[in-house]
Amino acid sequence: MIFKTVVVIGAGTMGAGIAQWFLQQKINVELVDSNYELALLSSEGIKKNLDSLTAKGKLTAEESNHFKTALKVVKLQEISPNCELVIEAIIENKEIKRKLFTDLEKIVSKETIIASNTSSFPITELSSSLSLDRRSNFLGLHFFNPATIMKLVEVISGNLTDKKLAQSIAHWFNQRGKVACECNDAPGFIVNRVARNFYGESLRACTNYNLDTIKEIDTTLKAVGGFKMGPFELMDLIGIDVNLSVTESVYHAFFEEPRFKPHRLQKEMVDSQRLGRKTKIGFYHYDS
Amino acid sequence: MIHNVLVIAEDNHPSYKEIKMHYEVRGIEEAMASFDIYDYVIDCSQLRTQKKYYFIKELARTTKAKIISDLSLSWGEWIYNNCPYVQGAVSTFFYSPSKAFEYSVKDKTDQATKSVIENFYQHIGMTPVFHDNLKLAFHYPRVVSMIINEAYFAIEENLASKDSIDLAMKHGVNYPLGPFEWGEKIGLSLIIELLRELREVTGEDRYRISHQLKLEAIKL
Repeated sequence: MIFKTVVVIGAGTMGAGIAQWFLQQKINVELVDSNYELALLSSEGIKKNLDSLTAKGKLTAEESNHFKTALKVVKLQEISPNCELVIEAIIENKEIKRKLFTDLEKIVSKETIIASNTSSFPITELSSSLSLDRRSNFLGLHFFNPATIMKLVEVISGNLTDKKLAQSIAHWFNQRGKVACECNDAPGFIVNRVARNFYGESLRACTNYNLDTIKEIDTTLKAVGGFKMGPFELMDLIGIDVNLSVTESVYHAFFEEPRFKPHRLQKEMVDSQRLGRKTKIGFYHYDS
Repeated sequence: MIHNVLVIAEDNHPSYKEIKMHYEVRGIEEAMASFDIYDYVIDCSQLRTQKKYYFIKELARTTKAKIISDLSLSWGEWIYNNCPYVQGAVSTFFYSPSKAFEYSVKDKTDQATKSVIENFYQHIGMTPVFHDNLKLAFHYPRVVSMIINEAYFAIEENLASKDSIDLAMKHGVNYPLGPFEWGEKIGLSLIIELLRELREVTGEDRYRISHQLKLEAIKL
């Protein structure tokens, strides 16, 4: 499997991280965003990151310059039709994603692999916006933030994804220092599903908002369980609204399976705009 | 060495060897056989609420000591309310990657019981973490059991291989162990026992056990 050009659509935090990681694999990257100015800004951010890595001695000046010239900001209609891989990392909105895939199909070659970095939508469902013969080349590539540092990539096969393609891509990532975990298409994939009760069960142990209990649960799970962060600290970091939204999505996708049922306390926090670090108040207070 | 402490433990306790190295240990049957004068009895039996209750009730006939009981698998609040001799509780059956454990005391002002628990377990290399208000169960066992149960549900549904799930949880969310590695360390039967207890007490289906977990845990 050889990737000469990878197109990353969506120049937000995830898209930029994914683009930078591919650049560092010596692959040409075309960065696209519906907001062209944002893509330009994002491209500047990536270049600054490369400079910073050079200053730290992690890249040579030559490598850094090479990566910078390998990055292009383009509009969707201008992407290389013969690129080997397109990764969609746009807003988590099913209809917008589906429209994008329909448009993409008209632009790229039949051999181009199309992947979604969705964290919540079924790959099989997203692939239905492509014509039937294109769906074997469609899969999920779920990166974790920050994509340049976090090693995991979930490689998700939809119902019609070519399994050999998924295996080859997983192998390709593994050879380049990522940890690619293949999985089938089910709500939350691996991590967002198995981790649900790190939060859900902790919320039940807490029952109502009580800062002492929240601190106790966080302390216990770090000290006894060896978790790097406690569940409440982590929800504050992720955003309690984002966490609730993922929980609700998995819960409904499993037809209201009680194991995934959201907790009243999450909803209360969101309703009162205590969303975590981003609002300076969540389960904890953040002064700065 | 703490004096005036009797330990009741069987060899299914994960720290049995360490405890036996430092303390006087009796099995469950032996403990019931005679009347002793100790300040504290540390009960390390691995029992769920109902059996734990009857065991402590019998034990209380043989001693006037304060009892510190391992309630890893029991409904803590109920035991505190119904077993007057139990003054403290610990949870040491669930493998901790950092060799730490949760403990609580019935009366928050009871510094003596707190000290006995802290000293006893520190002596065998375990770090105490205080749990202030013991209700349904200790925090760590219930959370980790739910994570492991979910991983077995995922296997049941052919989501991914065990290796993939273990790797994903370690590299995606920095868990110290993958759920299957964790389950092996804890012992799958303990996870099943705790989930059964939680389901029985709460009546909630969220504690339903994966049949794959049962399949792998229950061996004849």
